[in-house]
Amino acid sequence: MSQNTASPDAVESRWKLSLDSWAVLFALLAALLIRVGVLKHIPW
Amino acid sequence: MSEAAVALPRVRSSNPAWNFLRLIPGVLLLAAIGYAGKLLEQNVGKYAKAHHWTFPNIEYVLWAILLGLLISNVIGLPQIFRAGVATYEFWLKAGIVLLGARFLLGDVLKLGSVSLALVAIEILGAIAFMTFLGRAFGLRPKLTSLLAVGSAVCGVSAIIATKGAIDADDEDSGFAIAAILALGALALFTFPLIGHVLHLSDHAYGLWSGLAVDNTAEAAAAGALYSDAAGKLAVLAKTTRNAMIGFVVLAYAIYWASRGQAQAVGNKAAFLWQKFPKFVLGFLLISVLATYQFFNKEQVGALANLSRWAFLLTFAGVGLRTNFREMRKQGLRPFAVGAIGEVVIAGFTLALVYGAQRFYHW
Repeated sequence: MSQNTASPDAVESRWKLSLDSWAVLFALLAALLIRVGVLKHIPW
Repeated sequence: MSEAAVALPRVRSSNPAWNFLRLIPGVLLLAAIGYAGKLLEQNVGKYAKAHHWTFPNIEYVLWAILLGLLISNVIGLPQIFRAGVATYEFWLKAGIVLLGARFLLGDVLKLGSVSLALVAIEILGAIAFMTFLGRAFGLRPKLTSLLAVGSAVCGVSAIIATKGAIDADDEDSGFAIAAILALGALALFTFPLIGHVLHLSDHAYGLWSGLAVDNTAEAAAAGALYSDAAGKLAVLAKTTRNAMIGFVVLAYAIYWASRGQAQAVGNKAAFLWQKFPKFVLGFLLISVLATYQFFNKEQVGALANLSRWAFLLTFAGVGLRTNFREMRKQGLRPFAVGAIGEVVIAGFTLALVYGAQRFYHW
Protein backbone atom coordinates (compact mmCIF):
# COMPACT_ATOMS: atom_id res chain seq x y z
CA MET A 1 0.00 0.00 0.00
CA SER A 2 1.29 3.40 -0.88
CA GLN A 3 2.17 5.57 2.08
CA ASN A 4 0.80 8.61 0.26
CA THR A 5 -2.75 7.30 0.22
CA ALA A 6 -4.86 9.91 1.98
CA SER A 7 -8.06 9.04 3.82
CA PRO A 8 -11.31 10.40 2.33
CA ASP A 9 -11.63 12.69 5.36
CA ALA A 10 -8.13 14.07 4.78
CA VAL A 11 -8.88 14.69 1.10
CA GLU A 12 -12.15 16.41 2.02
CA SER A 13 -10.53 18.59 4.70
CA ARG A 14 -7.80 19.62 2.26
CA TRP A 15 -10.48 21.20 0.06
CA LYS A 16 -12.61 22.54 2.90
CA LEU A 17 -12.28 26.30 3.36
CA SER A 18 -11.94 27.86 6.80
CA LEU A 19 -14.55 30.27 8.17
CA ASP A 20 -12.02 33.07 7.57
CA SER A 21 -11.66 32.17 3.91
CA TRP A 22 -15.43 31.96 3.39
CA ALA A 23 -15.85 35.39 5.01
CA VAL A 24 -13.16 36.85 2.72
CA LEU A 25 -14.76 35.28 -0.38
CA PHE A 26 -18.21 36.55 0.65
CA ALA A 27 -16.89 40.08 1.22
CA LEU A 28 -14.92 40.12 -2.05
CA LEU A 29 -17.94 38.86 -3.98
CA ALA A 30 -20.11 41.58 -2.41
CA ALA A 31 -17.44 44.19 -3.29
CA LEU A 32 -17.38 42.92 -6.89
CA LEU A 33 -21.18 43.07 -7.17
CA ILE A 34 -21.08 46.66 -5.89
CA ARG A 35 -18.24 47.51 -8.31
CA VAL A 36 -20.04 46.16 -11.39
CA GLY A 37 -23.28 47.85 -10.36
CA VAL A 38 -25.40 44.79 -9.50
CA LEU A 39 -25.73 46.14 -5.94
CA LYS A 40 -26.13 49.88 -6.38
CA HIS A 41 -27.27 51.33 -3.10
CA ILE A 42 -26.91 49.83 0.37
CA PRO A 43 -28.96 51.94 2.79
CA TRP A 44 -28.08 52.42 6.45
CA MET B 1 -14.53 21.96 22.44
CA SER B 2 -16.44 22.93 25.53
CA GLU B 3 -18.00 26.25 24.66
CA ALA B 4 -17.81 28.82 27.39
CA ALA B 5 -21.01 30.70 27.05
CA VAL B 6 -23.93 29.44 25.00
CA ALA B 7 -23.00 26.06 23.54
CA LEU B 8 -22.96 27.05 19.89
CA PRO B 9 -22.90 23.88 17.79
CA ARG B 10 -20.00 22.77 15.60
CA VAL B 11 -21.51 19.44 14.52
CA ARG B 12 -22.16 19.30 10.78
CA SER B 13 -24.29 16.94 8.78
CA SER B 14 -22.97 15.42 5.55
CA ASN B 15 -25.81 17.07 3.63
CA PRO B 16 -24.67 20.59 2.52
CA ALA B 17 -28.24 21.76 1.80
CA TRP B 18 -29.31 20.85 5.37
CA ASN B 19 -26.18 22.51 6.79
CA PHE B 20 -27.16 25.70 4.97
CA LEU B 21 -30.88 25.57 5.80
CA ARG B 22 -30.33 25.07 9.52
CA LEU B 23 -28.40 28.37 9.64
CA ILE B 24 -31.38 30.40 8.45
CA PRO B 25 -33.42 30.72 11.73
CA GLY B 26 -30.39 31.91 13.71
CA VAL B 27 -29.22 34.33 11.01
CA LEU B 28 -32.76 35.77 10.84
CA LEU B 29 -32.70 36.14 14.64
CA LEU B 30 -29.36 37.99 14.46
CA ALA B 31 -30.79 40.28 11.77
CA ALA B 32 -34.03 40.86 13.71
CA ILE B 33 -32.19 41.73 16.95
CA GLY B 34 -29.68 43.93 15.13
CA TYR B 35 -32.46 45.76 13.28
CA ALA B 36 -34.49 46.12 16.48
CA GLY B 37 -31.38 47.70 18.06
CA LYS B 38 -31.18 50.16 15.18
CA LEU B 39 -34.88 51.03 15.46
CA LEU B 40 -34.58 51.47 19.23
CA GLU B 41 -31.64 53.85 18.77
CA GLN B 42 -33.67 55.95 16.34
CA ASN B 43 -36.99 55.93 18.19
CA VAL B 44 -36.27 55.83 21.93
CA GLY B 45 -34.39 59.15 21.76
CA LYS B 46 -37.19 60.75 19.72
CA TYR B 47 -39.87 59.43 22.09
CA ALA B 48 -37.98 60.63 25.17
CA LYS B 49 -37.47 64.07 23.61
CA ALA B 50 -41.14 64.33 22.63
CA HIS B 51 -42.13 63.56 26.23
CA HIS B 52 -39.43 65.85 27.72
CA TRP B 53 -37.64 62.97 29.43
CA THR B 54 -33.93 62.97 30.15
CA PHE B 55 -32.65 59.81 28.50
CA PRO B 56 -29.07 59.08 27.35
CA ASN B 57 -28.53 58.46 23.64
CA ILE B 58 -27.93 54.71 23.48
CA GLU B 59 -26.23 53.50 20.29
CA TYR B 60 -27.63 50.58 18.27
CA VAL B 61 -24.55 48.55 19.26
CA LEU B 62 -25.54 48.57 22.93
CA TRP B 63 -29.24 47.96 22.18
CA ALA B 64 -28.36 44.93 20.01
CA ILE B 65 -26.03 43.51 22.70
CA LEU B 66 -28.58 44.15 25.48
CA LEU B 67 -31.42 42.51 23.54
CA GLY B 68 -29.16 39.51 22.83
CA LEU B 69 -28.12 39.27 26.50
CA LEU B 70 -31.76 39.47 27.58
CA ILE B 71 -32.82 36.61 25.30
CA SER B 72 -29.82 34.42 26.15
CA ASN B 73 -29.97 34.92 29.93
CA VAL B 74 -33.72 35.25 30.59
CA ILE B 75 -35.44 33.10 27.97
CA GLY B 76 -32.49 31.00 26.78
CA LEU B 77 -31.51 30.40 23.17
CA PRO B 78 -33.66 27.63 21.61
CA GLN B 79 -31.76 24.90 19.78
CA ILE B 80 -33.19 25.84 16.37
CA PHE B 81 -31.37 29.21 16.44
CA ARG B 82 -27.96 28.02 17.68
CA ALA B 83 -26.35 27.04 14.36
CA GLY B 84 -27.28 30.36 12.76
CA VAL B 85 -26.25 32.43 15.79
CA ALA B 86 -22.82 30.78 15.61
CA THR B 87 -22.33 32.56 12.23
CA TYR B 88 -21.78 35.86 14.09
CA GLU B 89 -18.04 35.30 13.68
CA PHE B 90 -18.46 34.94 9.90
CA TRP B 91 -20.27 38.33 9.79
CA LEU B 92 -17.56 39.87 11.96
CA LYS B 93 -14.81 38.79 9.58
CA ALA B 94 -16.75 39.74 6.43
CA GLY B 95 -17.46 43.14 8.07
CA ILE B 96 -13.76 43.68 8.79
CA VAL B 97 -12.81 42.87 5.16
CA LEU B 98 -15.45 45.33 3.88
CA LEU B 99 -14.29 47.95 6.41
CA GLY B 100 -11.02 48.01 4.44
CA ALA B 101 -12.82 50.32 1.95
CA ARG B 102 -12.86 53.06 4.63
CA PHE B 103 -9.09 52.92 5.13
CA LEU B 104 -6.66 54.23 2.53
CA LEU B 105 -3.47 52.18 2.41
CA GLY B 106 -1.40 55.09 3.77
CA ASP B 107 -3.60 55.25 6.88
CA VAL B 108 -3.36 51.50 7.34
CA LEU B 109 0.44 51.55 7.07
CA LYS B 110 0.78 54.59 9.35
CA LEU B 111 -1.67 53.43 12.01
CA GLY B 112 -0.72 49.80 11.47
CA SER B 113 2.96 50.52 12.14
CA VAL B 114 2.13 52.44 15.36
CA SER B 115 -0.28 49.65 16.32
CA LEU B 116 2.32 47.03 15.45
CA ALA B 117 4.87 48.58 17.82
CA LEU B 118 2.27 48.86 20.61
CA VAL B 119 0.96 45.35 19.85
CA ALA B 120 4.48 43.89 20.14
CA ILE B 121 4.93 45.53 23.56
CA GLU B 122 1.41 44.48 24.65
CA ILE B 123 1.92 40.85 23.57
CA LEU B 124 5.24 40.45 25.36
CA GLY B 125 3.99 42.22 28.49
CA ALA B 126 0.71 40.25 28.58
CA ILE B 127 2.37 36.85 28.08
CA ALA B 128 4.97 37.56 30.78
CA PHE B 129 2.40 38.85 33.29
CA MET B 130 -0.22 36.14 32.68
CA THR B 131 2.44 33.42 32.95
CA PHE B 132 3.61 34.86 36.26
CA LEU B 133 0.01 35.18 37.51
CA GLY B 134 -0.94 31.64 36.43
CA ARG B 135 2.05 30.22 38.31
CA ALA B 136 1.32 32.38 41.37
CA PHE B 137 -2.29 31.07 41.48
CA GLY B 138 -1.17 27.47 40.87
CA LEU B 139 -3.13 27.03 37.61
CA ARG B 140 -2.32 24.05 35.37
CA PRO B 141 0.61 25.03 33.06
CA LYS B 142 -1.34 24.52 29.81
CA LEU B 143 -4.29 26.51 31.15
CA THR B 144 -1.81 29.29 31.98
CA SER B 145 -0.47 29.11 28.39
CA LEU B 146 -4.01 29.34 26.98
CA LEU B 147 -4.91 32.32 29.19
CA ALA B 148 -1.63 34.04 28.27
CA VAL B 149 -2.24 33.58 24.52
CA GLY B 150 -5.91 34.57 24.84
CA SER B 151 -5.13 37.80 26.65
CA ALA B 152 -2.02 38.63 24.61
CA VAL B 153 -3.28 38.01 21.08
CA CYS B 154 -6.85 37.54 20.09
CA GLY B 155 -9.15 35.84 22.49
CA VAL B 156 -11.15 32.82 21.49
CA SER B 157 -9.54 32.20 18.05
CA ALA B 158 -6.07 32.25 19.60
CA ILE B 159 -7.12 29.88 22.38
CA ILE B 160 -8.64 27.43 19.89
CA ALA B 161 -5.54 27.62 17.66
CA THR B 162 -3.21 27.11 20.64
CA LYS B 163 -5.32 24.30 22.09
CA GLY B 164 -4.72 22.24 18.93
CA ALA B 165 -1.04 23.15 18.74
CA ILE B 166 -0.13 22.29 22.36
CA ASP B 167 -2.59 19.38 22.85
CA ALA B 168 -4.37 21.13 25.73
CA ASP B 169 -7.46 19.61 27.40
CA ASP B 170 -11.00 20.59 26.41
CA GLU B 171 -11.57 21.58 30.02
CA ASP B 172 -8.59 23.97 30.04
CA SER B 173 -9.66 25.63 26.80
CA GLY B 174 -13.22 25.91 28.17
CA PHE B 175 -11.91 27.70 31.28
CA ALA B 176 -9.72 30.04 29.23
CA ILE B 177 -12.49 30.86 26.73
CA ALA B 178 -14.99 31.48 29.54
CA ALA B 179 -12.57 33.86 31.30
CA ILE B 180 -11.80 35.80 28.09
CA LEU B 181 -15.49 36.07 27.10
CA ALA B 182 -16.65 37.11 30.57
CA LEU B 183 -14.01 39.81 30.75
CA GLY B 184 -14.81 40.91 27.18
CA ALA B 185 -18.47 41.29 28.19
CA LEU B 186 -17.41 43.41 31.18
CA ALA B 187 -15.20 45.55 28.92
CA LEU B 188 -18.25 46.45 26.82
CA PHE B 189 -19.71 48.30 29.78
CA THR B 190 -16.59 49.58 31.54
CA PHE B 191 -14.34 50.72 28.66
CA PRO B 192 -16.69 53.42 27.23
CA LEU B 193 -17.23 54.76 30.78
CA ILE B 194 -13.49 54.95 31.45
CA GLY B 195 -12.91 56.52 28.03
CA HIS B 196 -15.48 59.26 28.75
CA VAL B 197 -14.19 59.87 32.29
CA LEU B 198 -10.63 60.28 30.96
CA HIS B 199 -11.85 62.34 27.94
CA LEU B 200 -9.95 60.08 25.55
CA SER B 201 -9.95 61.09 21.88
CA ASP B 202 -11.65 58.71 19.42
CA HIS B 203 -8.20 57.78 18.16
CA ALA B 204 -6.72 56.99 21.58
CA TYR B 205 -9.83 55.18 22.80
CA GLY B 206 -10.13 53.08 19.61
CA LEU B 207 -6.48 52.07 19.81
CA TRP B 208 -6.85 51.22 23.50
CA SER B 209 -9.93 49.03 22.87
CA GLY B 210 -8.14 47.21 20.06
CA LEU B 211 -5.12 46.59 22.29
CA ALA B 212 -6.82 45.70 25.55
CA VAL B 213 -10.07 43.89 24.66
CA ASP B 214 -9.21 40.33 23.75
CA ASN B 215 -11.96 38.94 21.57
CA THR B 216 -12.35 40.62 18.17
CA ALA B 217 -16.16 40.93 18.32
CA GLU B 218 -16.02 42.58 21.77
CA ALA B 219 -13.13 44.85 20.72
CA ALA B 220 -15.12 46.05 17.68
CA ALA B 221 -18.23 46.51 19.85
CA ALA B 222 -16.36 48.35 22.64
CA GLY B 223 -14.90 50.72 20.02
CA ALA B 224 -18.23 51.29 18.24
CA LEU B 225 -19.94 52.01 21.58
CA TYR B 226 -17.68 55.08 21.92
CA SER B 227 -17.95 56.40 18.35
CA ASP B 228 -17.85 55.31 14.73
CA ALA B 229 -14.25 56.57 14.36
CA ALA B 230 -13.17 54.77 17.55
CA GLY B 231 -14.81 51.58 16.25
CA LYS B 232 -12.78 51.79 13.01
CA LEU B 233 -9.53 52.22 14.95
CA ALA B 234 -10.37 49.46 17.42
CA VAL B 235 -10.86 47.07 14.49
CA LEU B 236 -7.57 48.16 12.89
CA ALA B 237 -5.58 47.73 16.11
CA LYS B 238 -7.26 44.39 16.83
CA THR B 239 -6.62 43.20 13.26
CA THR B 240 -2.92 44.05 13.69
CA ARG B 241 -2.97 41.99 16.89
CA ASN B 242 -4.74 39.11 15.14
CA ALA B 243 -2.01 39.06 12.47
CA MET B 244 0.44 37.99 15.19
CA ILE B 245 -1.52 34.86 16.13
CA GLY B 246 0.56 32.45 14.02
CA PHE B 247 3.88 33.54 15.53
CA VAL B 248 2.70 33.32 19.14
CA VAL B 249 0.99 29.95 18.64
CA LEU B 250 4.10 28.62 16.86
CA ALA B 251 6.31 29.74 19.77
CA TYR B 252 4.02 27.95 22.26
CA ALA B 253 3.83 24.81 20.07
CA ILE B 254 7.64 24.64 19.91
CA TYR B 255 7.91 25.24 23.68
CA TRP B 256 5.48 22.43 24.57
CA ALA B 257 6.91 20.08 21.93
CA SER B 258 10.41 20.65 23.40
CA ARG B 259 9.00 19.44 26.74
CA GLY B 260 7.56 16.35 25.05
CA GLN B 261 3.97 17.43 25.77
CA ALA B 262 2.84 18.36 22.23
CA GLN B 263 3.49 17.17 18.69
CA ALA B 264 6.58 18.66 17.02
CA VAL B 265 5.92 21.30 14.34
CA GLY B 266 7.11 20.08 10.92
CA ASN B 267 6.88 22.79 8.28
CA LYS B 268 6.91 26.11 10.16
CA ALA B 269 5.92 28.24 7.13
CA ALA B 270 2.89 26.01 6.48
CA PHE B 271 2.02 26.18 10.21
CA LEU B 272 2.14 30.00 10.12
CA TRP B 273 -0.02 30.13 6.98
CA GLN B 274 -2.53 27.71 8.49
CA LYS B 275 -2.88 29.82 11.66
CA PHE B 276 -2.76 33.21 9.91
CA PRO B 277 -6.19 34.93 9.94
CA LYS B 278 -7.04 35.25 6.24
CA PHE B 279 -9.47 38.12 6.78
CA VAL B 280 -6.45 40.36 7.48
CA LEU B 281 -5.38 39.78 3.86
CA GLY B 282 -8.93 40.48 2.63
CA PHE B 283 -8.99 43.73 4.64
CA LEU B 284 -5.66 44.81 3.11
CA LEU B 285 -6.81 43.88 -0.43
CA ILE B 286 -10.00 45.99 -0.17
CA SER B 287 -7.94 48.83 1.33
CA VAL B 288 -5.48 48.68 -1.62
CA LEU B 289 -8.39 48.66 -4.12
CA ALA B 290 -9.99 51.67 -2.37
CA THR B 291 -6.64 53.51 -2.33
CA TYR B 292 -6.23 53.07 -6.11
CA GLN B 293 -9.84 54.23 -6.66
CA PHE B 294 -11.11 50.91 -7.93
CA PHE B 295 -14.37 51.95 -6.23
CA ASN B 296 -16.02 55.36 -6.71
CA LYS B 297 -17.28 57.43 -3.79
CA GLU B 298 -20.80 55.94 -3.87
CA GLN B 299 -19.42 52.41 -4.03
CA VAL B 300 -17.15 53.08 -1.03
CA GLY B 301 -20.27 54.31 0.81
CA ALA B 302 -22.14 51.13 -0.16
CA LEU B 303 -19.23 48.93 1.03
CA ALA B 304 -19.05 50.83 4.33
CA ASN B 305 -22.81 50.39 4.86
CA LEU B 306 -22.60 46.68 4.07
CA SER B 307 -19.80 46.45 6.65
CA ARG B 308 -22.09 48.15 9.23
CA TRP B 309 -24.85 45.61 8.54
CA ALA B 310 -22.39 42.75 9.00
CA PHE B 311 -21.26 44.26 12.33
CA LEU B 312 -24.90 44.68 13.37
CA LEU B 313 -25.36 40.91 13.10
CA THR B 314 -22.09 40.40 14.99
CA PHE B 315 -23.15 42.62 17.90
CA ALA B 316 -26.47 40.78 18.19
CA GLY B 317 -24.45 37.53 18.29
CA VAL B 318 -22.15 38.86 21.05
CA GLY B 319 -25.19 39.32 23.29
CA LEU B 320 -26.86 36.04 22.31
CA ARG B 321 -23.84 33.85 22.92
CA THR B 322 -23.07 35.37 26.35
CA ASN B 323 -24.70 33.33 29.11
CA PHE B 324 -23.59 34.31 32.59
CA ARG B 325 -25.01 31.15 34.20
CA GLU B 326 -22.85 28.93 31.97
CA MET B 327 -19.82 31.11 32.69
CA ARG B 328 -20.25 30.80 36.45
CA LYS B 329 -20.05 27.00 36.15
CA GLN B 330 -16.47 27.21 34.88
CA GLY B 331 -14.91 27.94 38.28
CA LEU B 332 -13.45 30.97 40.01
CA ARG B 333 -9.66 30.71 39.80
CA PRO B 334 -9.24 31.11 36.01
CA PHE B 335 -11.60 34.11 36.23
CA ALA B 336 -9.54 35.59 39.07
CA VAL B 337 -6.31 35.18 37.06
CA GLY B 338 -8.03 36.49 33.92
CA ALA B 339 -9.59 39.44 35.75
CA ILE B 340 -6.38 40.52 37.52
CA GLY B 341 -4.41 40.06 34.29
CA GLU B 342 -6.95 41.99 32.20
CA VAL B 343 -7.09 44.91 34.64
CA VAL B 344 -3.28 45.16 34.66
CA ILE B 345 -3.09 44.81 30.85
CA ALA B 346 -5.86 47.41 30.40
CA GLY B 347 -3.92 49.85 32.63
CA PHE B 348 -0.64 49.05 30.89
CA THR B 349 -2.09 49.53 27.38
CA LEU B 350 -3.84 52.74 28.48
CA ALA B 351 -0.44 54.07 29.56
CA LEU B 352 1.04 52.98 26.18
CA VAL B 353 -1.74 54.74 24.26
CA TYR B 354 -1.33 57.91 26.36
CA GLY B 355 2.39 57.86 25.58
CA ALA B 356 1.76 57.35 21.85
CA GLN B 357 -0.92 60.08 21.87
CA ARG B 358 1.54 62.60 23.30
CA PHE B 359 4.32 61.52 20.95
CA TYR B 360 2.19 61.57 17.77
CA HIS B 361 -0.04 64.52 18.83
CA TRP B 362 -3.34 62.69 18.07
